[in-house]
Amino acid sequence: MTVAIRATDLVKSYSQGVRALDGVTLEVNRGEVLVVMGPSGSGKSTLIRTFNGLESLDGGALDVLGVRLDATHAERQVREIRKRVGMVFQQFNLFPHLSILDNITLAPIKVQQRAKAAAEQRAMDLLDQMGIREQAHKYPAQLSGGQQQRVAIARALALDPEVMLFDEPTSALDPERVKEVLDAMRQLAKGGMTMVVVTHELGFAREVADRVMFMDRGQVVETSDPETFFSNAREERSRRFLNQMQH
Amino acid sequence: MNRWLDRGITLLLLALLGWAGWSILHWLLVGADWSVVTTNLPLYAVGSFPADQRWRPLLWMAALITLTLLTLTGPKRGWVRRWLPLVWIAMAPLGLWLLAGGLGLLPVGTRSWGGLTLTLLLTGGSGALALPLGILLALGRRSELPVLRWSSAAYIELMRAVPLIAVLFFGQLLIPLFLPPGLEINRVLRAVVAFALFAAAYIAEDVRGGLQAIPPTQREAAAVLGLSPRQVLQLVVLPQALRVALPSLTNQAVGLLQNTSLMAILGLVELLGISRSLLANPAFIGRYLEVYLWLAAVYWLACSAMALLARHLEVQLDPARSAS
Amino acid sequence: MRQRRLLVQVGVAALLIGLLALLVNNLAVNLIRTGLGLGFGWLGRPAGFALAETALPYAPSDSYLWALTIGWLNSLKVIAAGLVLATGLGVAAGAARSSNNRLLRSLAAGYVALIRQVPLLLQLLFWYFVAFLGLPSVPIGGLIRLSNQGIQLLGLNLSVEFCAVLVGLTVFTGASIAEIVRGGINAVPRGQWEAFRSLGLGEGLGLRRIVLPQALPAILPALTSQYLNLAKNSTLAIAVGYADLYAVSDTTITQTGRAIEGFLLLLLSFLLLNLLISGGMAAFNRAVLGRLNRSR
Repeated sequence: MTVAIRATDLVKSYSQGVRALDGVTLEVNRGEVLVVMGPSGSGKSTLIRTFNGLESLDGGALDVLGVRLDATHAERQVREIRKRVGMVFQQFNLFPHLSILDNITLAPIKVQQRAKAAAEQRAMDLLDQMGIREQAHKYPAQLSGGQQQRVAIARALALDPEVMLFDEPTSALDPERVKEVLDAMRQLAKGGMTMVVVTHELGFAREVADRVMFMDRGQVVETSDPETFFSNAREERSRRFLNQMQH
Repeated sequence: MNRWLDRGITLLLLALLGWAGWSILHWLLVGADWSVVTTNLPLYAVGSFPADQRWRPLLWMAALITLTLLTLTGPKRGWVRRWLPLVWIAMAPLGLWLLAGGLGLLPVGTRSWGGLTLTLLLTGGSGALALPLGILLALGRRSELPVLRWSSAAYIELMRAVPLIAVLFFGQLLIPLFLPPGLEINRVLRAVVAFALFAAAYIAEDVRGGLQAIPPTQREAAAVLGLSPRQVLQLVVLPQALRVALPSLTNQAVGLLQNTSLMAILGLVELLGISRSLLANPAFIGRYLEVYLWLAAVYWLACSAMALLARHLEVQLDPARSAS
Repeated sequence: MRQRRLLVQVGVAALLIGLLALLVNNLAVNLIRTGLGLGFGWLGRPAGFALAETALPYAPSDSYLWALTIGWLNSLKVIAAGLVLATGLGVAAGAARSSNNRLLRSLAAGYVALIRQVPLLLQLLFWYFVAFLGLPSVPIGGLIRLSNQGIQLLGLNLSVEFCAVLVGLTVFTGASIAEIVRGGINAVPRGQWEAFRSLGLGEGLGLRRIVLPQALPAILPALTSQYLNLAKNSTLAIAVGYADLYAVSDTTITQTGRAIEGFLLLLLSFLLLNLLISGGMAAFNRAVLGRLNRSR
C-alpha cells in the first residue's frame, strides 16, 4: 500500500503562542478514508487545510502525493498539489456569479486546458452522479444547501483529484439535507477515493472510515479503526468527547 | 391634534404649489420666449460643426439613442441581445471617427466639436479611461506590496482632496508643462485625460468597496481548484466585486456626465458652454430662464437614461434572477 | 517567493521614480524655456486686482498672499454657512420622506429626484442669473430687504454672488443629505416607531428623540463625505464671480503664470480644509457615539 499523505511533526502557531497544531504526525494511505474528529478548536480544520497549502506551516514537513511542503516551500509546489487534491468546504463556497455548470467547468477549462465541450460533458456526468443533473443551468443562490454542497463535490471531482479533503461538509446544512451529501461521499469512498474527512457525523465515521483519528488541542490523541474507537476508545479524552456527541 | 397639523401642512403645501404653478403658467404664457432654444437646436446638438458635415455627429447621437431604446425595450433574448454589448463598446471609436474624420471623411478639428455631442464624448471618453485606471488603483491599494499600496493610496487621497475644477484647470495648464517640448495635445484630449485622472480616484474607492465585500473564502475556493492568482482575480473576485460596486459606479458615471459642464468655465463649448455663448449674443439677451430650463431638461434626460441603462445592466447581471 | 516580491516592489518603485523624473525633467525644460523658475517670492508682490467681497480690509496694493487669504476667508464663510443650511434642509427633506403626509412625502421625493439629475453648475447659474439678479427691490417687514444688489438681513449685507453660491450649494447638497438621512432612518427597526407610538409620543418628538439619535451612527460617515463635497464644490463660485479661494488663485495664476506654485498652495489649502471638516466630524462622531453608548 502506498502512502498518499505523510505528515511529520507539523507545527502551526497563531499569535499569542496558541498552537493550532502541536507536533502532528500521521500517514494516509492511498484508497483509505481517514475521518478526523475532535472538539472545536482542536486543530482538525487547520490540519487538513495544511494539506493543500491553505495554511502555512511553522514547523515539520508534509509529503502530499510526492510533493513536499514545509515552512519554506514555494508557491509552485502548492499549485502542483492543488491540481491533484480536491477540497470541499463547510460553507460550499460556490461562485455565486457563475452557473452551476460554469462553476464545475471553470478549473478544467482554465487550469487543465480541457476543451469546453469535453469539460461540460464531464460536468454533466458528475451532476448526474450527484443526482442534480437538472440544476446545471441554475445559479448557486437558487439551490438548497444540500444541492450546493453536492455541486461543490462535483466541482472538486471535475479535476480528477487523487485525494479529496472534506472540511466539515455537513455542518452548515439543515438536518434533513445531511443525508444526501453523506450518500454522495459514501459512494465516492466505495469507488476507492483517498479521503480525509473532518466531520462530527458519527454514523458516517463508523460506517465508511477505515481509520478514525481523534484530535484535541493541536495534538493527535489516538488513531484507531472505527470499531475500536467507538466501542473501546483507549483515551479518556476520546471517551468524554464521544459521550458528549451521543447526547 | 395631529390630524389638524397634517391638514394644515397639506393646505400650506397646496397653497405654495398653486402659487408656484400659477406663476409658472403665467410666465410660460406671457413671459417665455423659446426662440433662443428653437432657433439654435443644431448648436445645442453639435456645436459649430461644419453645416454640411452635421450629419456625422447627428448620426452618432441617433445611433446612441436607438441603442439605448433597444437595450431598454428590445427583445429579451436572441441575437440582438447577444450583440448589444459589443455594439455599445464600438460606439466610442465610432463616435471619434465620425467627429474627427479621416478614413474617407473630411477631417474636422476639435475646435469645432461642441454641444451635447461633445458632452457625451467627454463623458464616454473619460469614463472608458477612468474605469480601468480606477480598477488598477483599487487593486494597488489592496496589494500586499507596500510600495504599490502606498503610492496608490497617496494618489487616491490627493485626488479626492482637490476640487474637480482645479484638476481640470491645471490639467489644461500643467499637462503641456509636463510633456516634452514640441509634443502638444489638444484641449479636448487634455480635458478627457484630466477628467479620467480625477474620476479614477473615486472609481478606485468604489471598486475597493466591492473587493472588500467579497469574502476571502471565495479566493480560497478558487485557489484550491489550482487557479493562478491572476485567474482568481480575473475570473472569480473582480466579476463579483464590480457587480457589487455597480450602483456606486453608476452614480460616478452620472456625476461624470454632470461634471463635464465644468468645462464650460474653461472655455469648451459643450452643452453648457454653447449655451453661455448663446446667452452672450445680443439677440437672446436675458433669456436665462428659458435656456437653463431647457438645459436642465436635457441633462435630466441624459442622466436618467444613464441611470436606467445601469439599472438594466444590474438586473441582467444579477445571478439570482430566474434563469428559466 | 520573497525575492520575487522584493523584485516586483523595486520594479514598481523604479517605474514610479522614472515616470516622476521624466515629468520633472520635462517640467524643468519647459520652465527654463518660458523663463520662469520655481519659488514663492512673488507672494509678497502687490496683487493689483480688486476683490468685490472682503471680510478683512483689502486693497489692490496688498500682496498676493493677502489676496489669497481673503479668498480663503470668503471660501470659509460660504462653506460654513452652506454646511449648516444644507444639513437643516437635508434633515428636513429626509425626514419628510418618511412623513405620513403624502403630499409632503412626494414633494421631498420630487426635490431629490430633480436636483440630483441636474449639474450643480447649471443650478448655480440659475440661482445667480435668474433668481437673484432677477429680484425686484422689496423690503420685507423692514428687517429684510431683497434686491438684485444683495440681501440685507438685520443689518447684515449679503452680496448677490454670495447668496447665489450659498443657496445653490445648500439646495444641491441638501438633496444628497436627504438621501443619507432617509437611508439612516430606514435602517432603524420599525419596532422603534411602534414603541414610541405605543407610549403616546408624537411623530415629531419620536423622530427627534428616538429615531434620529439611533440613525445617527449610520448617517455621520456619509455626512462627512457630503460636507467634503460641499467644500470642494464651493469652488464653482468662480462661475458667478464670487471671490473665493479658487477664483483668487485662478486670477493670481493668470497674472503671474505661477501655475505649479499656485496649484501646490491650492492643494495645501484644501488638505487643510478637509482636515478641519473631517477632524470636526470625527470629534462630533465620538461625542455622539460616546453619548449613545453611555445611555445604553
